[in-house]
Amino acid sequence: MPLATPPAPPIVRNAVTASGLWRAYGSGEAQVVALRDVSVAFASGAFTAIMGPSGSGKSTLMHCLAGLDTTDRGTVNIGDTVLTGLGDKALTKLRRDKIGFIFQQFNLLPTLTAEENILLPASIAGAKADPAWVNRVIATLDLSDRLSHKPTELSGGQQQRVACARALATRPDVVFADEPTGNLDTRSSAEVLGFLRKSVDDFGQTIVMVTHDPSAAAYADRVVFLADGQIVRDLHGPTADSVIDTMRDFENAVPLAGKAA
Amino acid sequence: MLRATLKGMAARKARLALTSLAVVLGSAFIAAALVLTASIKTTVDDLNGDSYAGSDVLVQPVEPETAGERHVRDGVPADTLAAVEAADGVADVSATVTWMVNAIDDNGKVLGGFAPTMAVNWGDESVDRELREGRAPESDDEVAVSAQFVADAGLGLGDTVTAYSLSTDETVYDIVGVFGYSGDRDSLAGATELAFTTVEAQRLVFDGRDMYTAVALTAAEGTSAEELLRTIEPLIGDESTAMTWDAYMEETNARAAQTTNLIGYFLLGFGLIAVFVSVFLIANTFTIVIAGRLKEIAMMRAIGASRGQVIRSVLAEALLLGAVASVVGAALGIAAGAGLTTVVANSFLDTGGSSLTVPVSAPIAAIGVGIAVTVLSALAPAVRASRIPPVEAMRSAAKADKPITVPTVAGAIVTAVGVTGIALGLTDSFGSDRTDMLAAAVGAGLVFVGVSLLTAWLSKPLVSLLGLLWSWTFAGKLGRRNASRNPRRTAVTAAALMIGVTLVTATGTLLTSVEKSLASQFEDNIRAELFITGPVTSSVPATFDPEVMDDLREVDGVDAAVDVYYDLAQIDGTEQYVNTSSDLPGIVEQFGGELLEGSMGDIGEDGVAVNEWSANDLGVGVGDTVEATFTRGTEAHELTVVAILADNEETDGWYVSPKYAEEFYTPEPNLGLVDVAEGADVDAVTAEVETLLADEPAVSVQNHEEYLSQLTVFFDYAVIAIQLLLGLAMVVAVIGVINTLILSVLERTRELGMLRAIGMTRGQTVRMVTVESVTIALFGAVLGVGTGLVLGWIVQLALVDSGIDEFAVPTALIAGYLAAAVLVGLLAAIAPAVRASKVNILGAIAYE
Repeated sequence: MPLATPPAPPIVRNAVTASGLWRAYGSGEAQVVALRDVSVAFASGAFTAIMGPSGSGKSTLMHCLAGLDTTDRGTVNIGDTVLTGLGDKALTKLRRDKIGFIFQQFNLLPTLTAEENILLPASIAGAKADPAWVNRVIATLDLSDRLSHKPTELSGGQQQRVACARALATRPDVVFADEPTGNLDTRSSAEVLGFLRKSVDDFGQTIVMVTHDPSAAAYADRVVFLADGQIVRDLHGPTADSVIDTMRDFENAVPLAGKAA
Repeated sequence: MLRATLKGMAARKARLALTSLAVVLGSAFIAAALVLTASIKTTVDDLNGDSYAGSDVLVQPVEPETAGERHVRDGVPADTLAAVEAADGVADVSATVTWMVNAIDDNGKVLGGFAPTMAVNWGDESVDRELREGRAPESDDEVAVSAQFVADAGLGLGDTVTAYSLSTDETVYDIVGVFGYSGDRDSLAGATELAFTTVEAQRLVFDGRDMYTAVALTAAEGTSAEELLRTIEPLIGDESTAMTWDAYMEETNARAAQTTNLIGYFLLGFGLIAVFVSVFLIANTFTIVIAGRLKEIAMMRAIGASRGQVIRSVLAEALLLGAVASVVGAALGIAAGAGLTTVVANSFLDTGGSSLTVPVSAPIAAIGVGIAVTVLSALAPAVRASRIPPVEAMRSAAKADKPITVPTVAGAIVTAVGVTGIALGLTDSFGSDRTDMLAAAVGAGLVFVGVSLLTAWLSKPLVSLLGLLWSWTFAGKLGRRNASRNPRRTAVTAAALMIGVTLVTATGTLLTSVEKSLASQFEDNIRAELFITGPVTSSVPATFDPEVMDDLREVDGVDAAVDVYYDLAQIDGTEQYVNTSSDLPGIVEQFGGELLEGSMGDIGEDGVAVNEWSANDLGVGVGDTVEATFTRGTEAHELTVVAILADNEETDGWYVSPKYAEEFYTPEPNLGLVDVAEGADVDAVTAEVETLLADEPAVSVQNHEEYLSQLTVFFDYAVIAIQLLLGLAMVVAVIGVINTLILSVLERTRELGMLRAIGMTRGQTVRMVTVESVTIALFGAVLGVGTGLVLGWIVQLALVDSGIDEFAVPTALIAGYLAAAVLVGLLAAIAPAVRASKVNILGAIAYE
């Protein structure tokens, strides 16, 4: 397989689509509706950020898209697969084969070396990761001389880079990143975000990232804004300033959005 | 602060429950051991109380001077019975005739077991026998049998039974009745009884003399036992003695107490081992629990709690937990003790009922030890927690492992000192045997403690080596890594199993070595291929008709047949084993003995041969005379030492003329040695010998292997007994492993959530935890087997001079222990693995 020419899709296909998602927690008076009829699609080979204030439902949306949480109503597709109604086994297999994860807490296994952590999803599947591809990911992330280190011997930025490599190693259909820079200093954040950008540009990777940091969102191709469980804005080609403006804009409009629901 | 402690405890129920479990277990074992010991003692006392129950004064024959339990006894003469019967103040008299007999079961073999077969006189009313079927024996060829006999012998009402004693030949009796005992029991302490008419019982027990084993007197109203005793004492003559029933009971109970106390020490030993192991569990659990709460403790410190307050808060929690758990433990232990007492009473003592005794010491010791152990175990982690700066604990960076230098260095030093002690002791460096033995024993103990301390250091290489067994799956690989992740924790958890396995392996190794040493000495020395002998457990020693020997010599392929008679005689006032044979030189030849001086042919009528050690013991040599009184002998014989034999397990003892055989306890041969000719078919000879023995119910023909296994049967029982110890250690170990794993799973929730999120299946999660569990358990067992083998080997080396000159490894037992460890690991993994596989992914990975 030619490594240098990642498949740049001629037509825009959607890697992940959600339609009419509803998700509520609790019941009666205490019920909290986290998602209200959310429909959204994430283009293949694009970097999309999901933003919103605390409690807006952005994490719930990501969890539902990634098959970690169930929905009350509506459907989610990853590629051709319909997630809705799948059992634990099928969902686990889907997460293993088609989805990559990057967490705020890095979540590396302390017993494994950096290299073993990177190969973890493939190992779990009992498969062998494509070595040429893995090497390329490792080189891009500048981890070559850190491979035999245990997570405790790595800085936070290095740990998160290992986590990024782990997410990409199996060439998933989509990578979900949950506040990937939330625990990092500015420099490490820039490195990690730069890499995510690069993996979209160079490898054609699809990335969906939840963040509350406007400058992180500025690395994305598109920003979807959530408030009170609904998509309130959709911004293409964002900059840090335009993100801040949009947020200020819809935060003022939130009461209206609430009434509109 | 206390309020916060209590609220905190309420919020961590699962962890709390696990910590308490370790405390509960330790306390329960102590309480159970104490209750069981006390209750068995009471039950045995009650059982003793069954004999001559209701009587006030007991007249018994004076114990003869010659010690040993199996003499042909004299009884209380009939005229003494008549005299006391007529005495003033006597309301009722019952006369007992009883002693051991052999009865032949439905397979034509002598009934044998640990409990004896007894002949009794039916007329005796001092025991509550209750007729269940048929009637009492009325003529001398009739017998009533106990229900236990029916069960053991397979004979019942309407059948005939053959019985004989030391003084009678085999006699056939009609079974006319079956009886039980008060309280619907089948036996008293498991013994089998045959009840005859008094005359027949006297024929069996006293060779037909009109005598009684005991006469029990009941005092008339208004007469006290002491008054009655004073009245009859002048009436009973020199050959009898009288005592009150209370004094008799005191004496009997004191004798029984020697045995029950032994059982008690044994049980308490079990209990202490359990507590010792529990200390590991409790300390481990507290360390893990507090490690998991560092953040919370840091928060407390951040908002102004002092270090002292943190320590006090942890200790308050420990105190409360220790108190509650040890009270629960004590209660459970008392209940378990009660249950075990019933089991022991029913299955071993056959009392039909048991008396529960709860000594005050049981709850006090259980609760005291429980609280003390908990608080002390929590102290170190509490102090450690209080030393952590608040900011550091609040950071959630991956924590590096604590160094294990201190225990490792300490363990290495202790082990080295122990090894030195053993080496010095075994090389006789101290000049005195006692000091050498002591040095070796203390050294062995130190090695045990040292290795326990070294477990953490050993765990890294060993666990990862053992883990290789399961590394063929990825989940297995992760489990192996997890097992070696925290050496301290793994080590402490495995130590619980290690301790038990060490003890049983060491004893097992020693017993196997003893057995093997005996066997090889036996093989080296003994020339005879076949043995004619009976079970060691028969009530009257198994013997056979010496005329059989003549027939044996006629069998084709038999080179020699030698009969052997044994007696425990008095020689110069000491108890000595005496042998004789119609072929005295033949014994030495068949047993591979060696004469140092003189010859067996010189024994003649009044000569005696003796082995070197016994001769030195009595300070006699060739030409000296000794005085010998045999069991049935009425007078001493003067014998001259004519030969000295080299010391040898088989030929040790004294050899006298066969003319004294009639004064032996059993006047017939106890053992026949058959030397099969070179090239003859041993199986064919065996078959012929068997035919010749068809009329000898007490004995059978055995080859070396069968004969040896009979001699070493007690070692086998000892091995079984120590397996019970292992069973206990395993229960504790299972709980220990469960404890550690559940806490580890709780601690690794986030990690498990991540693994599940990126695609690990539930099955893989279960496998991962199971491998960790099995690896830890196997690590403990391997360490225990290793240490146990070394300790067993050391003791064997120390016993070389006593003839234990071969080292043998109990391979089957060790394989069993390792298999059991795997089972422990599998069982312990169930709950934690299920818990791990059900981790809520969202909850686990969500940002706090």
